[in-house]
Amino acid sequence: MALRVFALNLIKTNRNLLQSSGKINGGCSVQVVTSATYATQVTVEATPAAVQKQKVSKAMKAYLKRANEHDEFMKTQHLDFQIGKRHLANMMGADAETFTQEDIDEAIAYLFPSGLYDKRARPAMRSPDEVFPARKAAEFDETGRPFHSMFYTGKPNFFQLLHDIVTETKKLNDLEERMLRRGNKPDDNQKLETAGFQLLPKEQLERFLVEHIADIEYQSFCSSMDRLIASPYAYKSRAFIERFLKPLIDQSKQLEVPKPKIDEQGRQYVTTYECLRKTARADVTVRLPGTGKITINGQDISYFSMEQSREQVSVEDLIKVVL
Amino acid sequence: MAYACCAATKNILRVSQFTRLMSVYPSHYVNPIVEKNLQSSKGNELSHIPIKAAPNDLNDTIFYGQLKQKFLNYITKKGNAALAKELLTKTFEIIKRTQIERLNLGTADQEKVITDPETLLVNAIENSRPLLTLSAIKRGGVKYQVPIPLTERKSYFLAMKWILEAAREKERKVKLPDKLAWEILDAACGQGRVIKKKDDLHRQCETNRAYAHYRWS
Repeated sequence: MALRVFALNLIKTNRNLLQSSGKINGGCSVQVVTSATYATQVTVEATPAAVQKQKVSKAMKAYLKRANEHDEFMKTQHLDFQIGKRHLANMMGADAETFTQEDIDEAIAYLFPSGLYDKRARPAMRSPDEVFPARKAAEFDETGRPFHSMFYTGKPNFFQLLHDIVTETKKLNDLEERMLRRGNKPDDNQKLETAGFQLLPKEQLERFLVEHIADIEYQSFCSSMDRLIASPYAYKSRAFIERFLKPLIDQSKQLEVPKPKIDEQGRQYVTTYECLRKTARADVTVRLPGTGKITINGQDISYFSMEQSREQVSVEDLIKVVL
Repeated sequence: MAYACCAATKNILRVSQFTRLMSVYPSHYVNPIVEKNLQSSKGNELSHIPIKAAPNDLNDTIFYGQLKQKFLNYITKKGNAALAKELLTKTFEIIKRTQIERLNLGTADQEKVITDPETLLVNAIENSRPLLTLSAIKRGGVKYQVPIPLTERKSYFLAMKWILEAAREKERKVKLPDKLAWEILDAACGQGRVIKKKDDLHRQCETNRAYAHYRWS
């Protein structure tokens, strides 16, 4: 700890005394406005004493050195990335200013074609922020005092998050109490949509918090979030919750609906080729102003000799395939 | 008339999603919903989750019954499900004929005579379900027969197993559909070998109730 010594010395006119007092205080620099030696009083302006040389611990020194090295390293990487991007744009004949990450991906895929199965193994060029794992900024100041109050838990961000979740839950509970007393109900139109979402998986949460999390801790995070989301007034904390919801892919939206063609009689029809089931192959045609009849290789449903097969193919389902 | 067995039987025979069995599917895959009336309510959630393929045995028709399908599986030998289906169909035909004969003879109470074979099968299984069983527990060097409760799944399994066992204990010339039909009719009426077996077990459990606390020692 730096000791700032404010020394106020009233010094007698005697110069010798002044000299000796200077020696006694040992390096306390005092600006002495000395007038003539015959003066009776001397005004001394007190200034902070020479700051004692701060004893920075070796750990602190090493930490600062590492932090600086990392910053330097990231700077060079960013620079390299920018230069590389411009080179790449030049090679592809595109405008270097408006060269997006998607363009980079396309260019790399074109210049370095790879047949590797795993996409993550293929050559890629991404911003150093994505490539190098995020590090925490200085968690404590020069004196060694941590900034975060929960620093000594080892995982301040994670535990802060849990505290935040509980705070939000309490807030919503209080709100619910007040609404019940007034006889109000939660707004159904604003209800939080959780059907197409799942909670952030453990790896993504670790990246978000820049901390390593144990499985048990992740489970407690999940159960706390479930509790918060289950509250009827969860939509009030939408901004907070949506940070931790990951959207799931809707399978049906991936499918392309085929366009119907018109046949000679003017009816619409759609034919799907190569429909598979074990080693069976079929081309299926569905017509829109239909009769509800099924024809398989010229036969009706008795093509399936097994009763179980006929039961499995429900007629209602076939008619329901609407174009 | 809708088949009562489809709606009445509880879904206890469905494999719980929480049991991890050998599967070609990764663990996050969910079971499909075959019933049309449930698809609209639950379908919205499922559209975002990968679903396993529906088994061929399942369908949403009037011909499907969960308990009936399970019974068919127990009849099946060496994968010959078509034969099992034929046998059960013949069994149902015999049951139907017998019941209609009883109905037309008019001796018994007319309202009480059920002619629907699926309903009778369900009744037979429900009547022959054991609730407790004996378990050999060793205490102080002695093995005691301690009465313990059965899970629903196990009790349904035992009921169906006993009915089939009783049906297979027959002379060589007697056909399985005939014997099985009689066993089902008996069990549905609360009489016969299967009911006797269940009652014997329950009686044993009752006599051994003093040892019940050995379950927890």
